[in-house]
Amino acid sequence: MNRSTTAGLVLRILGILVALGIAVFPLYWMLVTALSTNAELFAPRARLFPDLGRLGVFGEALADGKALGWLVNSLTVATGTMVVSIGLGIPLGYALSRFTFRGKALVALVMLFTQMLPEALMVVPLFALFRRFDLLDSLGGLVLANSAFVLPIVGLVLKGAIDGVPRELEEAARIDGARPLAVLLRINLPLIAPSIAATAVISFFHAWNEYVFAVTFIFNPAIQPASVGIANFIGELGTPLQTVMAVALMFTLPAVVFYLFAQKYVVAGMTAGAVKG
Amino acid sequence: MRTHHPRPAAVIATASVIALGLAGCSGDSDADPGTSDGGSDGVTTVTFAASTFGDPGRGPLLLELVDEFNTSQSEIRVSAAAVPYPTFGQTVLTQMGSGLGPDLIRFDMPEFASASEAGLIAPLDDLIDVSQYDLLQQPDQFMVHDGVRHGIIFEASNYAMFYNADLIPEPPTTFEEFFQTAQELTSGDTFGLAFRQTQEEEAGVWQDIFNYVYGFGGAWSDGEQLTINRPENVEGLEAYQSLYDAKVIPRGADAATFRRMFAEGKVGMELNNGGYVSATQGQGPDLNFSVAPIPFPVRSQGTILAPIVINEASPAKEAAATFIEWVLEPENQVKLQEILGASSVATVTERSAETLEETPFLTVFDELTDTSLPHVVLGFESRTPDIRKIVVENVLAALQGEVTMQEALDRAQEEAVSLVG
Amino acid sequence: MAVQTAPPEASTSRRRKSPLGSRWTPYVFLAPAAVYILLFQGIPLAQQIYLSFTETTLLNPAHSEWVGLENYERIFGDGEFHRTLRTTLVYTVVCVVGSVGVGLALALLLNRSFRGRGVARALITVPWAAPGIAVALIATWMFNAQYGIVNRFLDAVGLGVPGGSILDSQQYALPAILLTTIWQLFPFTSVVLLSALQSVSQDLVEAATMDGAGWWWTFRAVTWQVIKPTVGLLALLMTIWSIRRFELIWLMTKGGPVGSTETIVIDLYSQAFQSQQLGTAAAIGMVGVLISLTVIGASRAVARVAERRLS
Repeated sequence: MNRSTTAGLVLRILGILVALGIAVFPLYWMLVTALSTNAELFAPRARLFPDLGRLGVFGEALADGKALGWLVNSLTVATGTMVVSIGLGIPLGYALSRFTFRGKALVALVMLFTQMLPEALMVVPLFALFRRFDLLDSLGGLVLANSAFVLPIVGLVLKGAIDGVPRELEEAARIDGARPLAVLLRINLPLIAPSIAATAVISFFHAWNEYVFAVTFIFNPAIQPASVGIANFIGELGTPLQTVMAVALMFTLPAVVFYLFAQKYVVAGMTAGAVKG
Repeated sequence: MRTHHPRPAAVIATASVIALGLAGCSGDSDADPGTSDGGSDGVTTVTFAASTFGDPGRGPLLLELVDEFNTSQSEIRVSAAAVPYPTFGQTVLTQMGSGLGPDLIRFDMPEFASASEAGLIAPLDDLIDVSQYDLLQQPDQFMVHDGVRHGIIFEASNYAMFYNADLIPEPPTTFEEFFQTAQELTSGDTFGLAFRQTQEEEAGVWQDIFNYVYGFGGAWSDGEQLTINRPENVEGLEAYQSLYDAKVIPRGADAATFRRMFAEGKVGMELNNGGYVSATQGQGPDLNFSVAPIPFPVRSQGTILAPIVINEASPAKEAAATFIEWVLEPENQVKLQEILGASSVATVTERSAETLEETPFLTVFDELTDTSLPHVVLGFESRTPDIRKIVVENVLAALQGEVTMQEALDRAQEEAVSLVG
Repeated sequence: MAVQTAPPEASTSRRRKSPLGSRWTPYVFLAPAAVYILLFQGIPLAQQIYLSFTETTLLNPAHSEWVGLENYERIFGDGEFHRTLRTTLVYTVVCVVGSVGVGLALALLLNRSFRGRGVARALITVPWAAPGIAVALIATWMFNAQYGIVNRFLDAVGLGVPGGSILDSQQYALPAILLTTIWQLFPFTSVVLLSALQSVSQDLVEAATMDGAGWWWTFRAVTWQVIKPTVGLLALLMTIWSIRRFELIWLMTKGGPVGSTETIVIDLYSQAFQSQQLGTAAAIGMVGVLISLTVIGASRAVARVAERRLS
């Protein structure tokens, strides 16, 4: 086209590269640190590149099988949280967007309100509550606790997305005789797919990283998620930096992979819908 | 187009089923979790929480010891509860406060004090007959409050001076020599000394300055009143500050960092507790280091006391007590001591000739037991965290040059008294 | 034609009747989520409100002693609490502006189609995917006074901090934490804003550009209109969340040095778990909630004023 596009393009690429660099550098540094020897960590000149010869550190970290277990547990909790919050969040968002009913403003306010509550504040009363319902020491209980925290946001984001869907489309379907739920599923969902992907990622990551509830509600070491497992390395007698970094890296990668996955499938669905106009 | 549309109820039902399904598939959710399940197939399970289990060095060895107990008999099974060290107190106290929590717990002193004051720890007098054991008196006295015994010493790690024997052939024996040695060794990227000086390591700073306060004849209280700003305390902490001002320490370095530096020969001396001997040997296998008593005017220093206690809410107290008694048996005490390294255990023990040959300075630690005190404010044990926060904040402010040490301690005394009386 | 549709209220009466199945449909949609939230958040919240008027210890949570406004009086009378409030304010504003600003810029950059876009988008989420503990550990190590890469770099370019002390200097600790926090947050804002941007009709944008409109005008007239509600929601959410953010600060500085990084949540945590005073902690928590409410109210008012000004 014209000159401004090329300059714009260069700036755009530069901007993205800088952003990527900043985003990834600390993780890169984690890799370098994980693969460094103690002497290298404390050398007068920093070692800038990872020593790939020491990849055995990862093997050692995985050796006793605990790390793998942690990752599986985290996966369970995160996936469960995602399913529950989206499963409940879609109807919630739809109701908030399309319906008028008594107490709607109140519900919206309460939802926003719940986002102001720090986990540290909630952990003691929730502990007593969970005990009464026998939800302690179970990954399912953790899923429920995390979902409760994330559901309001999921609901609000999806409400915003559904707000953006023209009512005419729904009207047309309704005239055809479709029930509200079918309208929801057939018409709205495809169009708000990117937002669903976004909320999937939000709920997944929240549960993936969550620590306070996990450490207080889970006693059985076999079902500890990785967020707690990593903390176990921070010992009274010092932290083996290399091992912690190795495990932390292994903990980060699945989440990134999940995001790639969510993005591909759900966004692909959306592009198909957009063609319809 | 009368196709079958799923009813709203179905969606909700599905979601609920998924949720409940997940709730079902994990952990033991039938019995009250965290405490033992009493007597199913005749075996009583007892959970034991200790941050030591997470230690890369000592953790696995401690687990082996626990396994030995398990295989030595078939009625009781002790299982290690992994509670991460950074939030150990918070996690365990929350659980205990709600009537749950592990059966056996290895505590630190401040949490031990709060928990026993709140009645969450089972009295041991009826469960264990301590007269049959040769308990070390000095640390053991802190296990008894108002005539009621609440714990048995699991580990007692006394503070001493670690020094790099290659850099320092003759360890200093007075504070002046100590200061001089530190200065002489500091050059380039090597430092003569190291200690913690950030709020982020508040508990560690408290442990470090404890040695200076008591080593100069001071004390935080006289058992009834707080004496934070008494002259000896000021003297000791001014000595501490003089080292900071002389830049003989790597400022901003946290304990993990400077301990590694010590292992790498980049730090000449540090005041540390016996629990670190094996860790240091592990981090620096080629390091030639030794240990000497802290060269301050008064032979009085801190010790990290870790009692093992039984949860009052535990349904398996006798089983838990049986484990403790097993640990107190002489051969097992020796084994435990070997795992813990340079710490003392509950009873008087003798070190084997081989261990002494490998690590001759172990006797230095053992000899310090009689003059060591736990890092609590006597008479205000359960308020130690509050007092500690105030004192450390003010001392660090003095280090940063905002106030003099006298002013800092005066202010700390004022704030602490208004808080705890 | 704008993508926005009329607000639901406009067609109330028609909606209530048969086209939607029944009057109960909204409640059926809402019920599971609402019950759930009420149970797991509402009840604990009510308990916390009650606790804030009592003296309760962590070790005996069942026994509370009613003390009325004493907790509140005590914390407001404490000069350090005022500083905590100030620190929380600074922390919140910088986090929100930083994360939303960077997130928006990034979302705009990533909105166009280009080779490797999927990979770029995935890599951007890396900070968010990293567990808080790991981030705190690597950040602390990077800011380490002797060996941290940040200090080495600063020294190399001549911007060295005296003694390399970043995390234990009263001036630089908070900025360091802010940088780390924004690093952690911008993936979230950019993901949300990216999904909002994707609702912007590309036809409209192209039409405007072909008409000769500059980028800024197109942005304001088309793009901004669509993403405005999302930006508003994000800003609000990030603000409320900032008051809650705990892990990073706790693991990096615990509120030090000398309280320069102590926010409300840090204070709350030490009160609850170190001093074991649940009553005081609850009171501090309630103050945080009140602040959040004020922020929501203020932002609503500002939004209304802005609407009036711009139209």
